[in-house]
Amino acid sequence: MPFPPAKNTINQTADLLANALRPALPSEVFDFWARELGSTHSKERVFAKIVAKRAESSRAVTLELQPNRHFQGFESGQHVNVTVEIDGRRMTRSYSLTGIARSKRLLSLCVQKVAGGRVSTHLFSESSVGDLIELDTAFGAMTLPAELPSHLLFLAAGSGITPLMSLTRELAARGMPVQTTLLYWARHRSDLCFLSELKALAARHRNFTLRIALTGDAVTQVDELRGRPCTELLAHAIPDLSHQTVFACGHSGFVDEIEAICKPLARSFMSEAFTPPNFNSSGTSADMVNVMLAKSNRLLQVPTHMPLLAALEAQGIHSPSGCRMGICNTCACPKRHGVSRNLKHGGENAEPESNLRICVSSAQTDLTLDL
Amino acid sequence: MNTTDRKLTDEEIKAFGTELDALRARTVAKLGVDDARYIKNIVRAVRYTEVAGRGLLFAGIFPPAWVLGTLTLGVSKIIENMELGHNIMHAQYDWMNDPELNGQTYDWDNSCTGDNWRHTHNHIHHTYTNVMGKDHDIGYGLLRLYPEQKWEPRFLANPVLALILMTFFQHFVAVQSLEVERWVSAETQDKRAVEGKRIAKAWKPVWKKMRKQLGKDYVLFPLLAGPFFLPVLAGNVAANLIRNFWSSAIIFCGHFTADAEVFPASIIENETRGHWYLRQLRGSSNLEGGKLMDIMSGNLSHQIEHHLFPDIPGRRYDEMSAEVKAICKKYGQHYNTGSFSRQLGEMFQRVFVHALPTKPLQQARQEQPKAEPLAA
Repeated sequence: MPFPPAKNTINQTADLLANALRPALPSEVFDFWARELGSTHSKERVFAKIVAKRAESSRAVTLELQPNRHFQGFESGQHVNVTVEIDGRRMTRSYSLTGIARSKRLLSLCVQKVAGGRVSTHLFSESSVGDLIELDTAFGAMTLPAELPSHLLFLAAGSGITPLMSLTRELAARGMPVQTTLLYWARHRSDLCFLSELKALAARHRNFTLRIALTGDAVTQVDELRGRPCTELLAHAIPDLSHQTVFACGHSGFVDEIEAICKPLARSFMSEAFTPPNFNSSGTSADMVNVMLAKSNRLLQVPTHMPLLAALEAQGIHSPSGCRMGICNTCACPKRHGVSRNLKHGGENAEPESNLRICVSSAQTDLTLDL
Repeated sequence: MNTTDRKLTDEEIKAFGTELDALRARTVAKLGVDDARYIKNIVRAVRYTEVAGRGLLFAGIFPPAWVLGTLTLGVSKIIENMELGHNIMHAQYDWMNDPELNGQTYDWDNSCTGDNWRHTHNHIHHTYTNVMGKDHDIGYGLLRLYPEQKWEPRFLANPVLALILMTFFQHFVAVQSLEVERWVSAETQDKRAVEGKRIAKAWKPVWKKMRKQLGKDYVLFPLLAGPFFLPVLAGNVAANLIRNFWSSAIIFCGHFTADAEVFPASIIENETRGHWYLRQLRGSSNLEGGKLMDIMSGNLSHQIEHHLFPDIPGRRYDEMSAEVKAICKKYGQHYNTGSFSRQLGEMFQRVFVHALPTKPLQQARQEQPKAEPLAA
């Protein structure tokens, strides 16, 4: 919505004032007064204002964000760490940017409400236009290659649609230069996001094919599929899998299944999982080791099978964390001594590490962290 | 002097510690939006009073504006140092994950660097509270406040030194980590040379921060006032004095009252959690006062609770104190509290009395049974 001219002048004056004061004030003072005046200006941090919020499905909303000048931009398909304050605690989660990377002045995120998910519930239900949130640098490797392959196959499940939507929009903006198929799984039809936009794109671009697969609802339309991913369903939907460059995104169970089916057959395969992999948490809790937090001078007992981050949180210690699946590095802290185990791939490391990702590492022996 | 502490068995000391641990856990579970709102309002109060104080001082050519500006800036500095700086650097608000309220990175409006403070105060003073030869806060290397401290002729100047310490408190805190008295009291030339080198090396970051503070208050803001350089300079000097006197008085009342005890270095061998709590209790004293006193002292009016639970947000100490008092009563332990004037009077009494070579009173209650070594 365009601002009335008077407001524009005020904004420009505010920008001028901010630029004049920025070098003169310490960051905490500058940021305080900017916040106090409802501005996203900051000396160095990336703040964004929610400028629009709309329902995308029965369980998802799209938030449009205006970031400040510190946002460095992103590539379609990337995600960004979003930090919000909930009950006095700042919490961080990664969300995919669903828009295209043309402008770094307006971003959109799609947030699907997860049962028990505090950040997603907050963004879905509590957040409102005008709220400030903090962003980090965009990251993620599921981006389009410089030279596009002849056949792109996007496999999405649930909220896994979000980075693939960004890629689809990017391709549409380029006029759908290559054969692109999006196969999108959801439990119920009402869970599907971006449905009318995707249908419109499919109608407009001969090169773009949309297939919906439902696991919960009965199929009512001819082009809909029913069932979880399996060899038969994929063979039926995608006859030429061997030509396809596959991008898959969804919860880790979905990605594991898809990978087993597609990786041996497809031309290439790339995936991103949204939920933490199922850690082997069946170990007995009787195996306890001591973890020393060197900076805060605290000694704790934690079980060997549990991710360190969760084990610390269980004892009331909330250290910064982000993705909770070992990709964003927010929780990383130096490990001085001890053997840690990477719960994602099972490797053990007895060396001191400068950046141990505690969300996906457990303690195998007594260890010392720089926390 | 207090002699009412009941001698506790090791089992009782353990149970005493367990009850305090449980109180801590109950309080941690309550932390949330109220605590976050409180500390943000404190930040707001500091920022607004600083702008108001400095703004009024720019009009300081008019005496009422000068007086009001100086007081407002003094109050701003007190709250910033005590309720924000001191408490945030104790990691009291780390659970919020707010980079502006982060215990490891916060720096305050004070000559002392955040890093030196975290070492001398959080680590040394809070770990070894009132342990002779370990806790540098027993007299700050400058004063003799306990008969257990070895007397030297320099302590005859105790009252004068106390006044100087309070006047230049922020700068004494800044140089505390240098432990200059080790150079002053060095017994041989060689030792003195070694100490001199050590101090010269540690001086660099200290001077950098001091210069920044001095430059801000005594050069930058007076210059910004142009023709009103002098009133602004005088107002800043006075505001810093207000902060120095007030914060040093509050801090001295926390450990130097008549009933506060010091302990021999041997006490920390095999010290259990329960013994540690007991030592914190016996070495600390509270100030009675209302909500205003709590805010203006950064909740160090609850010095006992602060020493038992240094990383719990200060605003929770008041509600915790009722339970701490009840636990102390149950175990027959003295809970040292009194009015500001009484505790301050007792502190000054120590300053005068122990200027002279006093001898420690041998008290039975100091012969608390030593802790059993913990089973490995």
